[in-house]
This record gives sequence, structure tokens and C-alpha cells, in this order.
Amino acid sequence: MTSNPQSIMASSRPLSTWDRINPARYIGELSETRFWMYLLLLPSALLIMGVVIYPTLYGFQLSFREMRLNRPDLGTDWVLLKHYQRMLSDQIFWISLRNTAVWVTAAVIIEFSVGLIAALALNRNLPGTKVLAVFILLPFFLPNVVAGHMWALMLDPRLGVINDLLVKVGLLGGYKAWFADPSTAMAAAIIVEAWHSFPFFTLLLLAGLKGVPSDLYKAADIDGAGSISQLRLITLPMLKTVIAAAVILRVIGLVNSPDLLLILTSGGPGRSTQVLSLYAFQTAYKDFNFGYAGALSVIMFIFLMMFAWVYVRLSKVNQD
Amino acid sequence: MATLSIKGVRKSFGSVEVLHNIDLELEDGGFLVLLGPSGCGKSTLLSIIAGLEPSSGGDVVIGDRTVNDVHPKDRNIAMVFQSYALYPTMSVRRNIGFGLEMRRVDTSSREDAIARAADLLQISHLLDRKPGQLSGGQRQRVAMGRAIVRNPDLFLFDEPLSNLDAKLRVEMRTEIKRLHDRLGTSVVYVTHDQVEAMTLGTKVAVMKGGVIQQLADPQTIYEKPANMFVAGFIGSPTMNFLTGTLEQHNGGLALHHGSAVLALTDIEPGAEAFVGKQVVAGIRPETFSKGEGPSSLTGTVDVVEPTGPDTMVVLDVGGQMISARLGSRERPHPGEPMTLNVDTSALNLFDPDTGNRI
Repeated sequence: MTSNPQSIMASSRPLSTWDRINPARYIGELSETRFWMYLLLLPSALLIMGVVIYPTLYGFQLSFREMRLNRPDLGTDWVLLKHYQRMLSDQIFWISLRNTAVWVTAAVIIEFSVGLIAALALNRNLPGTKVLAVFILLPFFLPNVVAGHMWALMLDPRLGVINDLLVKVGLLGGYKAWFADPSTAMAAAIIVEAWHSFPFFTLLLLAGLKGVPSDLYKAADIDGAGSISQLRLITLPMLKTVIAAAVILRVIGLVNSPDLLLILTSGGPGRSTQVLSLYAFQTAYKDFNFGYAGALSVIMFIFLMMFAWVYVRLSKVNQD
Repeated sequence: MATLSIKGVRKSFGSVEVLHNIDLELEDGGFLVLLGPSGCGKSTLLSIIAGLEPSSGGDVVIGDRTVNDVHPKDRNIAMVFQSYALYPTMSVRRNIGFGLEMRRVDTSSREDAIARAADLLQISHLLDRKPGQLSGGQRQRVAMGRAIVRNPDLFLFDEPLSNLDAKLRVEMRTEIKRLHDRLGTSVVYVTHDQVEAMTLGTKVAVMKGGVIQQLADPQTIYEKPANMFVAGFIGSPTMNFLTGTLEQHNGGLALHHGSAVLALTDIEPGAEAFVGKQVVAGIRPETFSKGEGPSSLTGTVDVVEPTGPDTMVVLDVGGQMISARLGSRERPHPGEPMTLNVDTSALNLFDPDTGNRI
């Protein structure tokens, strides 16, 4: 809504000297104009530009330049698509890409499934569910670094309590180095990741479940739908938007965060748990090749954008 | 179609008993309305009939089958909810046919049944839409379509018209009545709206505090309420309650209220026992007519409310306010005196101690 400052001033008594120089008066008048909205948005817009858009664009331009801190002789010239061309023939890149797909898909599926089961249980409002809810959410409160070290210790081949338990119940013949065996390292890391992050799905799905009217289940009871049918035909479709948002956020988190794998395996043994984010991180901060790391990050960025777009289209979230 | 018997049904939530020994009978093809204010237990009773809520005691018998431990889907009932409870992600077609789909009815029979129900409710053109694309009245029809498509033994309606605007509510009320006349299926209908109860029900159960206050046909409920709660709950404006003393008068009985004497006719035999005692006379607003008569009340006009077809007049009779429904042409002015004659044949007497009808 706009108003004419002149008409406001015309209707008031003559302005004193203090009134003329009082900044609050000018702010008050400005707040009545359409520019006020833009002024209020300005601080957050500047913040986003400073900490998100600038680094992103810088990363993009970095991917087209040579920048190796341990090879100053190469300079920082523009190299156009050199890094991207190198990527095509880089075996580690392809291994990382495949591992990323396995890591993200398996973790999201497990986290979603466990998260959904927990959310459905907590939505029952039975005695004790509030206390249980806090317990279930606890892993999510732990920083990745703490969770990673905790599990590394629990799965330790000599001291680990899990090895001890598995041997005692007869599931294992002897203590096993889970993270040292290429056939189990990825699976073990995925289980740690799923344990740590399934409460994210629990939290969002529980919030979604609270919004499903109970009358729908009563109607479905009378219509003869059993528990599985109710889950498949009522609950999940009603949670579609929440699921889509949660999956996209989680995929972005999983693709972009190398911290847990860095602590548990550092991408090994061999390259068996090497994922793109870890590869980009190590390329930048171990090999000091910021140009190539920038190109890897750009590819991750493009993959994530494409995934989000395709996923939203396929899940038809926008249609309801 | 089936009969419904409720025998001694009770319901407690912890130490709070919300239904006390409810007994009801509904004849085959009847329309039973559970009527009462919020919190009287009518919706809980409906949920117990549907099997959505377990009772704490007593029996629910549909037809000749006691269904206490029978799952809702096996009771052969259909329910229309206040919120309609349409599945938002399914089309109208699938909503209507969902009960048949779950019962594994083959596609062609299902499509036929959906088409018949949609045709009956005039929603054939809406079948491919989602509930979110429908108006309140259309959703209501879809909810009814979902109920009738299965040919259930019993329809259960839980305040189905509460979410509609006044005009649509009247239209849908007529629609429900027409549907019941056509299908002849027994109905249990929960409402707090007395007009719905009076217009739809073949039998009305007025409830309060988890107890049925009166179970009778609508006319009896209106003309011969069992107690002062029923008398006050049914009718708009509400029944006038005039306290006075019952005396012998010209060989009959009369109610003395101040200087006014209302000669009573058509008195129930039990009234003789109250001669010389205080009683409460329940007088419907439409039983008043302007002018002197054998049983008149004189007072001062307090408020005049023309409604179009009638004029509602609030009269101050010795400090007690009396509502009277007079003809539309009557236009008294506030402050002026007015005498009203009472048709005492329609008058009800209540025991002031128990509130029960004498």
C-alpha cells in the first residue's frame, strides 16, 4: 500500500527542527512505501549473495582454471574444459560416481524405511511414545564426527563391542575388520549413516502423519482396507509432498557430505568407499588441485539439480 | 436393510462414563436421529455402532447378528462423516468404488455400481475429478455415493450437513430424505440440529449427558416432551417455561401465575396430584394469539422481531420473559401493554423438582 508523504505532512502541525532531522521520521515514511519490502529483504539477500552465490560462482570459474597450490609453476590460467575432459578418463571419478550412487540410494532407502516405521509407531500416541521419540531422535543430534568415531570404536576389530556381541551369539566366527574389508566397508558405512540420519525422516514423516485426518482411516476401516492397503493407498499418498521434500534434502546432504566416510574409511580400502564429495575434498585439500576439485563439485551440483528436477516431476508433487 | 438394536450399551473413558445403559430399537427401513448438544455422547454411540470404538458393555445387534466383536468392514454398514473423509489423492470414481475395490468386486461390476450411484446423486460429470476440485455440496454427494454404492444394511451419518452453508444444508437435507425414501435402508443419523432431526427422522432420540432423554417420533418429541430438557432443546424459539400454582378451577384445573389464570384442558391424569403445588407450564411460542381469551396473559412488550412470515414478540409478564410467535402483520411497539391468549390444549406441565413431564 502506498501513500503520499506530502498529504501526511500537510495534515500535521508545522515540523520542528528535531522533526526535520529525526531519522525515525524518514524510516517511518519509507515504511509506508513499496520500497520497504525490498529494504527488508536486502540484508538476507546480501548474506545469501556473500556466502552462497559468490562461492558457487567462484567454484564454477575455478573449474575452468588451473589452480594447484603445490604446482605454482603451472600458474592460474584459464584451461577451459581441461578438467572436465580429464574427468572422462579418470577411473577414480567413475568409481566415485558409482559409489556415490550406491551410497546415496542404499542410505536413503534404509533411512526412509526405518524412519517411516518409527514415525508410524510414534504416531500411535501410546503411553511412553514421547520418551521413545526423544530416544529415537538422539542419533540425529550427534555431530557426524562424534557418530563416526563412536561407530569406528564399536566396530573396531580388537576392541569393538559389536564384534564381541556377534561372536558371542554365534553370528561371527571371529572378530572382523569391517572397514578394512572392501566387501563390507561400504555396507558398514551405510549402516552407520542410516543409523545416524534415519531420525531426519522420522521427524518429517511424523509431522506429515499428524496432518492426515483420522477420519480417513475410519472410512478406510469401514471400506474394508487393511493396514497394508491403508499404508499404501492413504498414508503414503498423503505424505507424498513430505516424502519428496525429505528425499531431496537427504540426497543433497548425502551427496555433499564427505565427513562420515572421511572419518570411517577415508575412501578405502582401495577405492571401495570413495564417493564424489570425498574425492573432491581430497583433491582440493590433499592434492591441493583446486581447479579439478572445482570441476568435480560442479558435476555434483549439476547431478543434484537434475535429480531434484526429475524427482519432483516423477513424484508429481506439483499436481496436487 | 436391517433392524438395529442397542441393548444396555455403556462407554467409559477411564473413570468417566460417557454413555449410560443405552437401549434403542430401530425398525427395518427406519430413520433414527440421535440428537443432542455437543458432548452428549451421540457421536460416540454412532462410533460404537460402526465398530470404530469398542463399547464398555452391552450389545449392538444389526439384523439378527450381534456385532460387538465384528470388524467395521464386516458389519455391512456405510458411514458418511462430518468431514466427508474423502481420500484426497483418489479420483471421485475411485473414492466411490473404494469399498468395492477392497472387497475385490470385479472391475465391470464396480464400474456399473459407481455409475448407478453417481447417476442417482447427479455427480456423473465429476467422476474424474479429485475431492480438492469439488465444492462442499459436491463432496457431500460423493461421500453419500461412497456410502450407497455397497448396498449396506445400515447407513450411519455423523453430522453430515454441519460443514455446509444454510442454503445448501436445506437442499442436501431434502436430498438425504429423498434418498432414504428411495432406497429404504435403515439410517442412524447424528446431529445437533433439531430441524434436521424433526424433518428427517422417523424416530428421534434426544440425548444429554450420555443418557437418552426421550425416544419417540418427532411429533411426540415436539408436542409431548418427556422433560424440560427435551422441551427446551426442541423448537425455535425455545419453549416458554412459566412457573405457577396448579389449582381447581370451574371443575377443572388451572394454572395461577400472578393475577393470570390459565384454564387447562387435555390434562394428563397425573396432574391432579399436583393441585396446590408449584408446577412449570411449557408453552410453545406459536400457541399464543393476540387478544383476550379464556386463558390470557398480560404484559409489556419488550422486543419485537419481524422475521418475514411471523413476528416474534418478547413480552415481560411480571418479570418473566415470554416469547410469542404472532402473525406477520402484528407490529406492537416496545413498552406498550399487550394481552395474549394461550391455547392451553397444547400446554405441557412439568414437575419443577425433577423436570419431568407431569
